[in-house]
This record gives sequence, structure tokens and C-alpha cells, in this order.
Amino acid sequence: MLTRTKEPRVDKACRVKVWDVPVRLFHWILVSCFITAWLTLDNRYLDIHVFAGYVMGGLIVFRILWGIVGDSYARFRDFAFGWREAWNYMTMVLKRWPTRYLGHNPAGSWAIYLLLGLGLLITITGLLGMGGEERQGPLAGLLNYPQGESVIYLHEVLSWVMLGTVAVHLTGVATESILHRENLVGSMITGYKKAAQGTISAPPRRLVGTLMLVVIVAAGFSWFYGYLIETPEQPYRPFTGRQLPDNALWREECGACHLAFHPSLLPVRSWKAMMEDQSSHFDEDLFLEQEAIDKIETFLAENAAEQALTEAAWKINRNIPKTETPLRITETQYWIDKHKQISDEIWRDPKVNDNVNCAACHLDAEAGTFEDAAMRIPAGAGKSSTGIIKGIYEKITCIFSFNSSPSSIFTNKS
Amino acid sequence: MKRKLIFVTAIMVAIPLYAQADAVSELQAKYQTQSAGPFSAKAGEALWNKKFIDARSGKERNCTVCHTTDLTKAGKHVRTGKVIEPLAPSANPKRLANVEKIEKWFVRNCKWTLGRACSAQEKGDVLAFLKNL
Ligand code: HEC
Ligand code: HEC
Ligand code: HEC
Repeated sequence: MLTRTKEPRVDKACRVKVWDVPVRLFHWILVSCFITAWLTLDNRYLDIHVFAGYVMGGLIVFRILWGIVGDSYARFRDFAFGWREAWNYMTMVLKRWPTRYLGHNPAGSWAIYLLLGLGLLITITGLLGMGGEERQGPLAGLLNYPQGESVIYLHEVLSWVMLGTVAVHLTGVATESILHRENLVGSMITGYKKAAQGTISAPPRRLVGTLMLVVIVAAGFSWFYGYLIETPEQPYRPFTGRQLPDNALWREECGACHLAFHPSLLPVRSWKAMMEDQSSHFDEDLFLEQEAIDKIETFLAENAAEQALTEAAWKINRNIPKTETPLRITETQYWIDKHKQISDEIWRDPKVNDNVNCAACHLDAEAGTFEDAAMRIPAGAGKSSTGIIKGIYEKITCIFSFNSSPSSIFTNKS
Repeated sequence: MKRKLIFVTAIMVAIPLYAQADAVSELQAKYQTQSAGPFSAKAGEALWNKKFIDARSGKERNCTVCHTTDLTKAGKHVRTGKVIEPLAPSANPKRLANVEKIEKWFVRNCKWTLGRACSAQEKGDVLAFLKNL
């Protein structure tokens, strides 16, 4: 075997290229994707989170192919160890004198297979869940909302398992680096390891590496292109929901004093009660004619929350007790939960004015879709900035504080 | 040829102006049958800026809290934050063009602002004030 040297210390050493360019790029880009995905759990950064997921899935598929068609150390054949070998290796580690492997050692290989498998499952559950809960992505609509929600739950559990596996992997790297007095992290950067004279180097495969980079940069460019051409008047919306039912009379009559709140935001009984009482509508007399009232009420009832036209509709309706008939969207439990983190200063800011001014923050409020990542608190509103750095900081503090649910990627479970 | 073009454009410009003048005069004529009039833009302007105290909240209300004092500019609904397009017909030709729409908003806005319905005289005065802006 060329790739394994039994002597623990290499005296007459030479530097050997072990990790080719594609393997190293794969490793570090995967690391960045993993970190990015954890930092972008907030709905507002869903497009970044999803991009990190796509890159991660793509990289893993590539790595599996490379493990089959790649060269020497990159091949799965080079580190296809059984359980027994991994176990033996671990006992050797405990005796502090493990064999040195130039490529992946048996325990490390198992971590790698586990990470690849988990990463792939996470990508798949992410895609399925996004298709079910958000009706976005290539699998949009394949699952319904409750199924989508369960899959997202699985997605979160798997992400925690992967985080644990990463921790084990890092511990292993540190242990082996100490026991063999070599810098394994450095090797993954430079590609070189010390080995006995005459050991064969892996070919660098720069072309494949360049191709990987080109593909990822091009994908990133097309994914985020909208941000480059956006204007303050027309901010970029990474996700646009499907077109919801519309009605000219409703938009005209119910959209004059405030946003025409889409029917999907309240259940049928709420709309019926509201239209019945239209002469004292939140202290206003709407003074509508009976014909208009009937027409609007029909439209409202046909597209009410029960129809689950959007994720928000489904969740709003689910959380209203059947005995209650809320007249305000802003009094439904789902709405309250989704907005409780917004400070009073922001609500009072003239740019926001009031919590019914949905369009101040939701770029798609007129359309009624209320997509994730289509919300932006107006620049400079309130004292607190809501830049991405602050958002990331908040998420980190959230992840490490155990009293709050840590990783609701698409939803606050309520 | 050129004259014909000018004539056609003149008519096209005049039609909406005519329609608007029509809605306002139609309403004013109706108010006159309710023994109101003559109408004065001055009185309309005074009402426009007059402050009313809401009985329940004790807060000041007037037409300008939503429409602002510069009627050629967009206003903002004081309770919901929604932008309201300018009310002056010169800045927004769609204004004061529809009898039912004007009446409907008089009902709503007077009730909320004054705490009561506006009289025919008041409505005629406000229209006299608004139509020339
Ligand atoms: C004359 C102005 C006016 C018109 C026209 C109007 N509304 Fe309202 N609406 C209001 C005001 C004022 C509020 C209360 C806003 C507040 O308290 O912040 C309100 C509140 C609401 C709310 C509750 C918002 C929340 O979640 O807090 C709903 C829902 C609503 N309106 C639906 C309708 C519908 C449906 C129509 C058409 C039939 C309509 N409105 C037409 C003035 C109006
Ligand atoms: C001050 C800005 C602001 C205003 C005004 C506002 N929202 Fe939101 N809304 C947010 C933010 C921020 C979130 C994201 C919360 C999260 O992801 O945890 C959100 C989340 C939501 C969601 C959930 C979206 C999803 O799929 O996760 C819905 C639905 C929603 N808002 C509806 C409304 C409606 C309806 C109104 C008006 C009655 C409104 N919002 C007014 C800022 C605002
Ligand atoms: C609470 C906010 C508010 C107040 C106060 C208010 N308005 Fe309005 N007004 C509106 C809104 C909203 C509209 C409809 C705007 C639209 O159609 O885009 C409107 C429309 C109108 C119109 C109809 C214009 C047209 O399109 O033909 C008239 C006339 C009018 N208002 C007069 C008044 C007068 C007079 C007062 C004071 C007595 C007043 N308003 C006070 C909110 C208000």
C-alpha cells in the first residue's frame, strides 16, 4: 500500500501532496456553507440560507463522484475502512500510539461518511420542506403544509446531529494532530503532508478546482443578482409567491384607508362579522351599499384563511381557537408571535407608523403573499439597526441561550 | 392638419376637466336643493383647517391630519400610515370626478373628523375650496 506508512515518525521526510485542489476546495467551501446556514436561520436571510444549502448539496454530490473517479487519496477506495478497523484505531488512540495514515484514518473516514450522508439528507429535507412550507424551489407543492413542517423539523434535528458530528470530527483532528505532531488543518489548506521518501504525490487537479469555483461564483452571481440592480423604490425580493386571487371592487373599497389586507389573513367568520358591522368599522363608518357589501363578503369568504392559500394563512387559521372571531389580524396569535421581537421604537417610527402598515416592512404586502425574506424594516427606523451583522449576532445569542427554541429555520413554532 | 391635432388634444384635455367640474357642480346643485348656498371657497378653507376635539379620545382632529395642508402633495392616513394621493385636482386629475365617491368620503371623513355628518352648506363650501386647487 502506497498510502499508509506504518512508522509513526517520519525521519527522512519529504513533503507529499496528499489533498488535491478539489478536495481542499470542497472541504473549506463546505465549512463556509455549514457556518453560513447556521447563521442565517432568520427568515429574513432565507435566500442566503437556501443558497448555502444548494452549494452544500452540490458539493456533496461532487465529492461522491470525486470519491469514485478521483485520484489516490481522494478515492473512497483509499479510506473504505470497516467498523473493526475504526474501532481498532480508536483503541490505539486511547493507548496514545495510533498508526499514522497519510490519507484519512479509519475513525476519520467514518466521520466523513457520516458528514456526507447527513449533509445530503439535510439538503434533501431542506428542499422538501421549502417546497411544502414555502411553496418555493424545485419541489414546490410536492408536500402540503403539515408535511412540510414535519420535514423541516427533521431538517433541524439532522442539522443538530451534523453539528455534533462536526464537533467529534474536530476533536479527532485535534487529537491526531497532537499525537502525530503534525498540523492536519494546515495540510487541508496547503495539501501537503510529510511522508517517507519516495511516496507518490496526488496530482493537483487544478482544472477541476477552477471549474468548481467558476460554477459556484456564477451560481452565486445569478442567485443574488437582484440585489445589484435593486433601487430604494423597487427593492429586490428574492422569493415571489404565486399570484393570489384578486378583486377590483375589494381592492378599491378595502384598500383606500389601509393596505387591502388579503382575505387569506383571517378566517371566514371574522370577515362575515366585519362586513356585518361595516357601519362601525374600527370607529369608521364604511357607508357601503348592500350590493358592494355582498360582493366583497363573497370574495373575502372564498379566499379566507381556511383555504390555506399561503403558509401564513394556514398558520393563522390553525392558531385561532374555534370559539374566537378576531377582527384584527394583529390580534391573532400567529401575528403576535411573529412580531414580538420588534421594538416599540420601530412601531412608533414615522416610517412604520402603526402595526397595520404591513407594507412598511413587507415588500409583498399588496400581493398578500408575505413571503419570508420579503421583509425589511425601513432603514433607520427605530434605534436598533437590523443589519445582517446584528441579525447574526441575535441568532448566535439565541442558539446559545437554551430557553428559547434555537433553530426555527422557517417558523417560530407556535 | 396641425390645427386639427391641436383641436383634438384640446378636447382630450378638456374632457376630464369637464367631467370633474361636472361632478362638483352636480353635487353643489344637489346641495342647493337642500336649501344651501351660495358656496364660498373661503368658508370651505376655514372648515378644512378647523380643529375639532374628539369627544372620546380628547384628541384634536381635522381634515389636514390625513390630507396635510398642501393638497398638491400626498398625505398619509393618520391611523394606518397608508399614503393618500394628493387631493388637489391640479395634482391628481382623478380627484373630484365621481359624485358617489365624493359623497361616500364626505360621510366617512366628516363622521370621523367632526364627529357628525357635514351639512349641505359645509360640503358645498369644501368643494368650492377644493375644486380650484
Ligand atoms: C374609511 C377608512 C377604512 C376603510 C374604507 C376600510 N377600513 Fe379597515 N380599518 C380602518 C381603520 C381606521 C382601522 C384600524 C386601524 C388601527 O387601529 O390601527 C381598520 C382596521 C382594519 C382591520 C384590522 C387590521 C388589524 O389587523 O389590526 C381589518 C382586517 C380591516 N380594517 C379590513 C377592512 C376591509 C375588509 C375593508 C373593506 C370592506 C376595510 N377594512 C375598509 C379604516 C378603514
Ligand atoms: C415593523 C415592520 C413590520 C410590520 C409593520 C409588519 N411586519 Fe410582519 N413581519 C416583520 C418581521 C421582521 C417578520 C419576521 C419575523 C420572523 O421571521 O421571525 C414578520 C413576519 C410576518 C409574517 C410571517 C412570515 C413568515 O412566513 O415567516 C407574516 C404572515 C406577517 N409578518 C404579516 C404581517 C401583517 C399582515 C402585517 C400588517 C397587519 C405585518 N406583518 C406588519 C415585520 C413587520
Ligand atoms: C382619517 C384620515 C382622513 C381624514 C381625517 C380626512 N380624510 Fe378625506 N380621505 C381620506 C382617504 C383615505 C380618502 C380616499 C383616498 C383615495 O381614494 O385614495 C379620502 C378622500 C377624500 C375625498 C374624496 C376625493 C376624491 O377622490 O374625489 C374628499 C372630498 C375628502 N377626503 C375630504 C375630506 C374632508 C373635507 C375632510 C375633513 C372633514 C377629510 N377628508 C378628512 C382620509 C381622510
